[in-house]
Amino acid sequence: MRLLEFQAKRIFSRYGIPVPKGVLIESPDGLDLEKLSFPAVLKAQVPVGGRGKAGGIRIVTQAKEAAAVAKELLASNIKGVPVQAVLAEEQAEIERELYLAILIDKQTNMPIIMASATGGVDIEEVARENPEQILKKHVEPSIGLPDYVVRYLGKNLGLGDYLESFREIADQAYAIFRDCDASLVEINPLAVTPSGLLALDAKILLDEKAAFRHHDLFTQLQAEWRRLEKGTKTMAEQLAEERGITYVPLDGDVGMISDGAGTGMLTLDLIQDAGGRAANFCELGGLAGAESMRQALEVVHANPNVKVVLISLIGGLTRMDEMADGVVQYLEQHEKSVPLIIRMYGTQEEVGKAKLRAVGIETFEDLEAAVRAAVKLAKES
Amino acid sequence: MAILIDENTRVLVQGITGRVGSFQTKIMLEYGTKVVAGVTPGKGGMEIHGIPVYDFIEEALRDHEVNAAISFVPARFAKDAAIEAIDNGIPFLVLTAEGIPDHDVITILNYAAAKGTTVLGPDTPGLVSPGKCKLGVHPNRVLKEGHVGVVSKSGALSYEVCRVLVEHGIGQSTVVGIGGGPLWGLSQKDVLKMFQEDPETKVVVLLGEVGGTTEQEAAVFIERSMDKPVISLIVGRAAPKGARMGHAGAIVEGEEGTAENKIKALKNAGSFIAKNPSQIPEIIKKVGA
Repeated sequence: MRLLEFQAKRIFSRYGIPVPKGVLIESPDGLDLEKLSFPAVLKAQVPVGGRGKAGGIRIVTQAKEAAAVAKELLASNIKGVPVQAVLAEEQAEIERELYLAILIDKQTNMPIIMASATGGVDIEEVARENPEQILKKHVEPSIGLPDYVVRYLGKNLGLGDYLESFREIADQAYAIFRDCDASLVEINPLAVTPSGLLALDAKILLDEKAAFRHHDLFTQLQAEWRRLEKGTKTMAEQLAEERGITYVPLDGDVGMISDGAGTGMLTLDLIQDAGGRAANFCELGGLAGAESMRQALEVVHANPNVKVVLISLIGGLTRMDEMADGVVQYLEQHEKSVPLIIRMYGTQEEVGKAKLRAVGIETFEDLEAAVRAAVKLAKES
Repeated sequence: MAILIDENTRVLVQGITGRVGSFQTKIMLEYGTKVVAGVTPGKGGMEIHGIPVYDFIEEALRDHEVNAAISFVPARFAKDAAIEAIDNGIPFLVLTAEGIPDHDVITILNYAAAKGTTVLGPDTPGLVSPGKCKLGVHPNRVLKEGHVGVVSKSGALSYEVCRVLVEHGIGQSTVVGIGGGPLWGLSQKDVLKMFQEDPETKVVVLLGEVGGTTEQEAAVFIERSMDKPVISLIVGRAAPKGARMGHAGAIVEGEEGTAENKIKALKNAGSFIAKNPSQIPEIIKKVGA
């Protein structure tokens, strides 16, 4: 879950990591930028990389120009994402740009801290062309970030007088990583300025699996996203989000629900191979019961393009009797449904099949046959 | 033989009194798994399907010999339960829970590595050596004794493929679900290595998906260290970039995580490539295993 820059910087400030003075702009009307000193930098708040090169970062020299550029940015798209907010910040005097990041290294299952003296926009290129310019140290999670590692990085970044400030920033970045269950805390660039180190950009990825222990933080972030994304999501997406259902919209007409991620992806591939086009990906997960299935059917039906819904079930943890209950409940509550093609196999399947037969639905045993039937129906209707 | 578990595996079930733990214990017992004890804090003294329940693993170990555990403990309590299993020297631990926070997973995996516990998962259906032991939630109907080793990220995809194999009269040596990621105890590569060394396994089926680079690492191992035939099926060819496809690890970021890239790496490493489950038995018959 990627935070927007202003959200990440708010967390930085709370932990004492210095960031430029800034103002968040959500509307071009009634702008008050008098408190800001110029020149300033206007930054589109979109969760995509490379926004500077895509025109999402602009330098302005006075308040009137800032208002015009903010208006322009708020009406634009950056890499396909509509800009809903702009962060206006005082421009810093940059001597050099460093890179600092803490993340989970999936190769070793350990946290890793990375730093480079060549920070800035082209860090991916540095990683590719000159990987030796990026310093990397693994961190034992039960021990935390050792001071010697921070001193080692500071020395190799040539920080000299700024070592103390770097130590504070690295320690606090690790504290954010640990306290907030982050999968990434990245400062790029971490600028060396005449007045000290300054985090010019901020990227934090949070682990939504840990939301249960960060209730207040997640509630605040989600409220902000909802406000900023207003009008950019479809009914089906909003419904899925409210109910915590995995839902990815696609542009075809065959609705898809599966009880496993792998079989869901397989079903999409098979739909494509059969010459059809899926309308979505929707996966229930192993602990799903009848209610999840009923809600997923509502979500998928909320997309008006759907002509048929293909339900792809092979139960290990999920029980087919409970899946059938969910389908029956949906049909009882809704007068209209597009045709349902159901493939059912696995745990408690005999009970599940009997329940569906009672409402006139015959299930498929073979997945590929079910896919062919669904694609054919979508084409005919 | 088979890998990781066999007829001598004696199982402790963590979270045995929950809805899922209790139901799956019944199915494991029906399959013939030697479940000897269960643990649920506060439920000590109960019996579930005839299996004694204890408050703590330490108490269970006073009465029973155990060499593997499967945890059905929900995600938010899974770390504590895993630490208890590791502290008690359980050599092999299967973590079924989906949604364990990444920071908890790295704590568990690093502690397990330090103490010598092998971890399968998290977010795994477990594993089964047909005819010998089932330490997982696979539907019994898709299993049959045989010589095909199956390693999969997705549980459901492995059931799908095993169903097709059994329909063609082909059985399995061991079916291992490593989990949906993005962090894994045993990796695809680790399991491939075990299959390579297992005399009972003649051919290996690798079931992968979009996201991450584990299939590329598996490809390197296949090329360098395997002489048994490997058949790979990678799902998510039709998955859009940037979207999380159900599994926490299944998200295409950049070019490396695409199905296309993984298929290419595996093909170059000498693996057979299946486009869908029904091609797998055809390839197995062709390679004559």
